Amino acid sequence: MGAHARESAVHASGLGRRFGRYWALAHVDLEVPYGTSVWLRGSNGAGKTTLLRLVASLSTPSCGELAVGGHDVYRQRAAIRRSVSLVSHALYLYAGLTARETLAMWAQLGGTAAAARDVERRLDEVGLAAAADRRVGEFSAGMRKRLALARALLEAPRILLLDEPFSSLDRAGCELVEAWVRRFAETGGTVLMASHDHERSRALCERVIDLEDGQIVGRETLRATGDPS
Amino acid sequence: MRVVWSILAKDLLLEWRERARTLSVVLFAVVTLLLFSFALGPDVEALRAGTPGFLVLALLLSSTLALNESFRIEREDRALEGLLMRPVGSMAMFYAKALANALLLTLLAPVVVGLAVVLYSLEVGPPALAGLVGCWALGAAGLAAPGTLYAAMTSRLKTQDVALPILLFPLVVPVLLGSVKAMDLVLFGDAMNQLQSWVSLLLAFDVIYWAVCGVLFRYAVEEGE
Amino acid sequence: MNVRRSLAIAGLLLLVVGTYMGLFVAPPERHMGEVQRIMYVHVPSAWNAMLLYTFAFGFAIASLWSGKPEWDDRLVGAVEVAVVLNALLLVQGSIWGRATWGVWWDWDVRLTTSLVMLLLFAGVLTLRRMASAERRAQWSAVATIVAFVDVPLVYYCVRWWRSLHQIQSSPETVDPAMVIPLRLNAIGILLLGVAWLMARAAIEKARRRRDEAPLPSRVIVKETAHA
Repeated sequence: MGAHARESAVHASGLGRRFGRYWALAHVDLEVPYGTSVWLRGSNGAGKTTLLRLVASLSTPSCGELAVGGHDVYRQRAAIRRSVSLVSHALYLYAGLTARETLAMWAQLGGTAAAARDVERRLDEVGLAAAADRRVGEFSAGMRKRLALARALLEAPRILLLDEPFSSLDRAGCELVEAWVRRFAETGGTVLMASHDHERSRALCERVIDLEDGQIVGRETLRATGDPS
Repeated sequence: MRVVWSILAKDLLLEWRERARTLSVVLFAVVTLLLFSFALGPDVEALRAGTPGFLVLALLLSSTLALNESFRIEREDRALEGLLMRPVGSMAMFYAKALANALLLTLLAPVVVGLAVVLYSLEVGPPALAGLVGCWALGAAGLAAPGTLYAAMTSRLKTQDVALPILLFPLVVPVLLGSVKAMDLVLFGDAMNQLQSWVSLLLAFDVIYWAVCGVLFRYAVEEGE
Repeated sequence: MNVRRSLAIAGLLLLVVGTYMGLFVAPPERHMGEVQRIMYVHVPSAWNAMLLYTFAFGFAIASLWSGKPEWDDRLVGAVEVAVVLNALLLVQGSIWGRATWGVWWDWDVRLTTSLVMLLLFAGVLTLRRMASAERRAQWSAVATIVAFVDVPLVYYCVRWWRSLHQIQSSPETVDPAMVIPLRLNAIGILLLGVAWLMARAAIEKARRRRDEAPLPSRVIVKETAHA
């Protein structure tokens, strides 16, 4: 791995993940420098979610190497998880907690006092301040998604993994997410995002990775890293 | 420790919010106790002699409900995975969940023991009552540790309702025997000073499994190759 | 393959000789008479079941420690063989009980412990069946460790539980003509068991292989740049 791995937010080579007889991901070579936003493009079942879960260290590769933030996925999961946040299809929310309680709990688990102070600000940012004391179980899909995003940013990650961030959001919600991811990227954050929303993803990301049947079939550079669109 | 407390507080808060569900565990325990009494007929003497067994079986049977429930909330929106993604450590996660389960099961004691006292006209003073609740608590702790570990695994299965009891019940034979014997001695006198050995057995089981399951929990929740 | 076969043949030979000696050479026991001869399979079954469970425990730790699937192959081999021996043990114990105590089941310490043990490890195999492929090895190892740790606890609590009713059988001086078939059978069953374990592990490995689809061939990556 060596030098490459240390410079990159994500470094993968020959990465593969098998589920039974089926290779969900194979031959993935990936180099994502810090501060880059990458759009994972592909149809359902192309391997986007599998790749995001591998990078999040929630899943173990079947072969190949993978380093996230310079940390080896086989041996340094804890370190990876400190620098990565994932917003996946499942939003990891407890229906019985209120929005405020949810954020407060995750802030406590992250262990920083700053995060705990951020709770109110984050609620405000995602437009949930008015609903802060309502239970998540009563939320609409869009509100749940916003809360999940607020939670992810509360964790102050260096790398943000988004699996279909625009799904189940209304127009305002989508714009909010877009503005947000942009701000995160502009402040030096790294984004890996799987999405079917071509227009928004194209506007947000600098690079595109095309996945098909578990393999990278194309790479596209939309603009240089750091360039505004 | 702080992390254990956050998760524990979350679990207890959720239990409280969904107290209708929690209450159903209590009701289940009560119904079980009643059924045992009916099964053994109306002979109060026989019922009284069987009290420790009924109590522990009521605890054992309701424990699977409580344990499954405890991981249902984690599975619903895959929140457990979210917890894994935080720098929490699976051990802290285990102890929080196991403590919540032990606490919940222990809270059944006053209701069920109280009911048994009334139903079987037990003549017990406060020390004996405290002893019964103590034995119950030790038993509950013994069920909670392996129960939490196994429930974390079986909650991923379609067959979880069957899987948990068939794994857990043979395992907790020492807990069952230990608590029944200890309660028996508390209720009906301890002529040969055996109570201490049974309590030690329960304690040994609790200590061993709280330690072992804490270490193993990681492998129950993390995905392998 | 050769090792396995030699072990199996040697085990079988020992078992045949041992059993022959047990049935026809060794003298009948003073109190129990001919029925006691079931001991020549019963006791070796018990020893070997315990030994194989201990192997399984070791394999489980190795499996979690190293994450290598080979340990899981051995683990399932050990647990399955031990469960079969354990089941035989119960049947033999029950027959013995019928002949000596007049009942098919007695809440004897060892018999009861072995019943609980069988249920514990049958549970391990059940969980294994139900687990998804990527969790199977870890879950099997976890359940094996948890079950194995329970065995001494079960033994002691059943012993105390029974302590008022039963006197532990004290070891009497045993005729050497009885010891030899016992040992021959014990070693015979051990060798057979190990051969069987290895065969089962090989099957598991073959199954794993069968389920391993080869890596798909690499496709060509199209690079585009607009910058």
